[in-house]
Amino acid sequence: MLQQEEDQEPQRLIALVDCNDFYVSCERVFRPDLINKPVAVLSNNDGCIVARSQEVKDLGIKMAVPVHQVQHLINRHKVQLFSSNYTLYADISNRVMQCLENYTPRLEIYSIDESFLDLTGICLNNSIAYGQQIKQNVFRTTGIPVCVGMAPTKTLAKLANYAAKKWHKTGGVLDLSNPLRRDKLLHLVPVNEVWGIGLQTTKRLQLMGINTAYELARQPVESIQAQFNIVVARTIMELNGISCLTLDDIPTDKQQIVCSRSFKRRLTTYNEIAEALASFCSRAAEKLRKQDSVAGSISVSIKTNPYNPDEPQYQRSINMQLQQATSDTRQIVRIAKHLLTEIFKRGYRYQKCGVQLGHIHAASIPNQIDLFANNAPNDGTELMNTIDKINNRFPKGITLSATGINTGWQVPVEYLSPHYTTNWNELAIVKCC
Amino acid sequence: MKETIKPKRGGSRPGAGRKKGSSVYGETTKAIRVPESMVPEVKAMLNQRKQLFENTSAISLPSATPSYIEIPLFSGKVAAGFPSPADDYIEKTLDLNDLLVKKPAATFFVRAEGESMLGAGIHPNDILVVDRSIEAVVGKVVICALNGELTVKRLKSIGKEIVLGAENPAYQDITVQEEVDLVIWGVVTNVIHSL
Repeated sequence: MLQQEEDQEPQRLIALVDCNDFYVSCERVFRPDLINKPVAVLSNNDGCIVARSQEVKDLGIKMAVPVHQVQHLINRHKVQLFSSNYTLYADISNRVMQCLENYTPRLEIYSIDESFLDLTGICLNNSIAYGQQIKQNVFRTTGIPVCVGMAPTKTLAKLANYAAKKWHKTGGVLDLSNPLRRDKLLHLVPVNEVWGIGLQTTKRLQLMGINTAYELARQPVESIQAQFNIVVARTIMELNGISCLTLDDIPTDKQQIVCSRSFKRRLTTYNEIAEALASFCSRAAEKLRKQDSVAGSISVSIKTNPYNPDEPQYQRSINMQLQQATSDTRQIVRIAKHLLTEIFKRGYRYQKCGVQLGHIHAASIPNQIDLFANNAPNDGTELMNTIDKINNRFPKGITLSATGINTGWQVPVEYLSPHYTTNWNELAIVKCC
Repeated sequence: MKETIKPKRGGSRPGAGRKKGSSVYGETTKAIRVPESMVPEVKAMLNQRKQLFENTSAISLPSATPSYIEIPLFSGKVAAGFPSPADDYIEKTLDLNDLLVKKPAATFFVRAEGESMLGAGIHPNDILVVDRSIEAVVGKVVICALNGELTVKRLKSIGKEIVLGAENPAYQDITVQEEVDLVIWGVVTNVIHSL
């Protein structure tokens, strides 16, 4: 009886829905003139290329390349550049995820532009039709094109998505539940495209003569685990359709918060860098409070421009464990500035600094009380919450004086598109002509 | 006369023993005889009562992360006498989103520019509520991508042809040629016009 019931249990089916060139697609929603034109989105300070349309990929412009290295291609092919408009991307991402929620009881939002959906038992005989419906509905609702990869495991679903994007014959939807089809694809996929196989692992696997996903899938799990680690061993099982990775439908809070930027011009004095650092700390602390967490360690890093070999190079970072975890901007800034004095050296032209908050845990977990410190109740919480509320309504309304007003380090974002969906003054214009 | 002699030792002491009402049920108890066949039933019943009491008397600590609960506002005053018949009607504040936004994920606001749609009640600088999920059928006012620009038109059909119509005699309709790639961006559902 029990055996029978198990037999009837439908096969696990996981879908990965991934937006195509997400940032570029977001920009194009309100700019139909840019469809089929080369478009690229730049990193936080317009430094590097972080998203490319197919046309830009076809020009041979690689991911994460500094803009100045490909300036000639940008000029010659009239590539439309955009500064990253994260407000817009976050809003569009929310809309996409809302859409996907209609198709599954269990959704794992994996990143800003991809989600895993548990479709087990939902579309038994017509998974492709269901995937097409998802794809069409997301596009119709949000204007964002997506591809859907389906398989019994997350790793295979990732691979199915990769294939759905790469081979247009799939129509953007692919189901790898059938083992024959699965093996056929595994033969075609280089091992470095497998989810969880990084650069170093790829190099070692290639030395062993393992070049395709198929060759990896055929390896004995035990010996691979002995030679590599459990992650690679699990990947092999997942490639064979044995599910090892579960769907996390409850989002986990960030374990690390990093805020670092390049300066527009090189900075040389402690005061200038300290102002920039204070500003990054404010931002990081804000993110920390947004997830109701506190940080137990702070790291600060500075570096000169590695692309300029003629200048003396210097880079250092320093970490400090806090006796009491905090989310108070004032404390974080004070400690970060103190750390900066430890690593700052005169005589260098600094290009970048950053702060990283670690040992993050929920603010509701009581702190270990320091026996020797002044344990007066940390009454900064309310002040910080109030500041956050004000800044929410009036961006940059209240800042610490430490962040300075002379923001020479700050980058004017040159190619920022309007906040079409979040600011009444920046709505898209439609012509009545 | 019989004299009562108070023993020097033993006997009851004030304040000793189980406190009144300190039983597991939260009240005083009494011993009774129960037919043997009903013992399990009575025990089960008592057990239930015991648990109920235990649950309600558990120590409650304030939540470390309080959540906010919207408390409905009641109309009508609380009078000591006859209850107001309006108390049964919870007053709800009106939210324009309920009226204008049916599908939040698919709804976008855009701003109109130009006068070709005056007849449809769309004036320059008005804000249009656009639902991308609604099907664009003939008769609807739509946003379409025309020569790379987002444009407002009314979808009409004349004979077999689809026409992008203006709502102002000063502007010309555009017949959609088959070779023209017409992309409908969304359907206009409402106009927000400031007076």
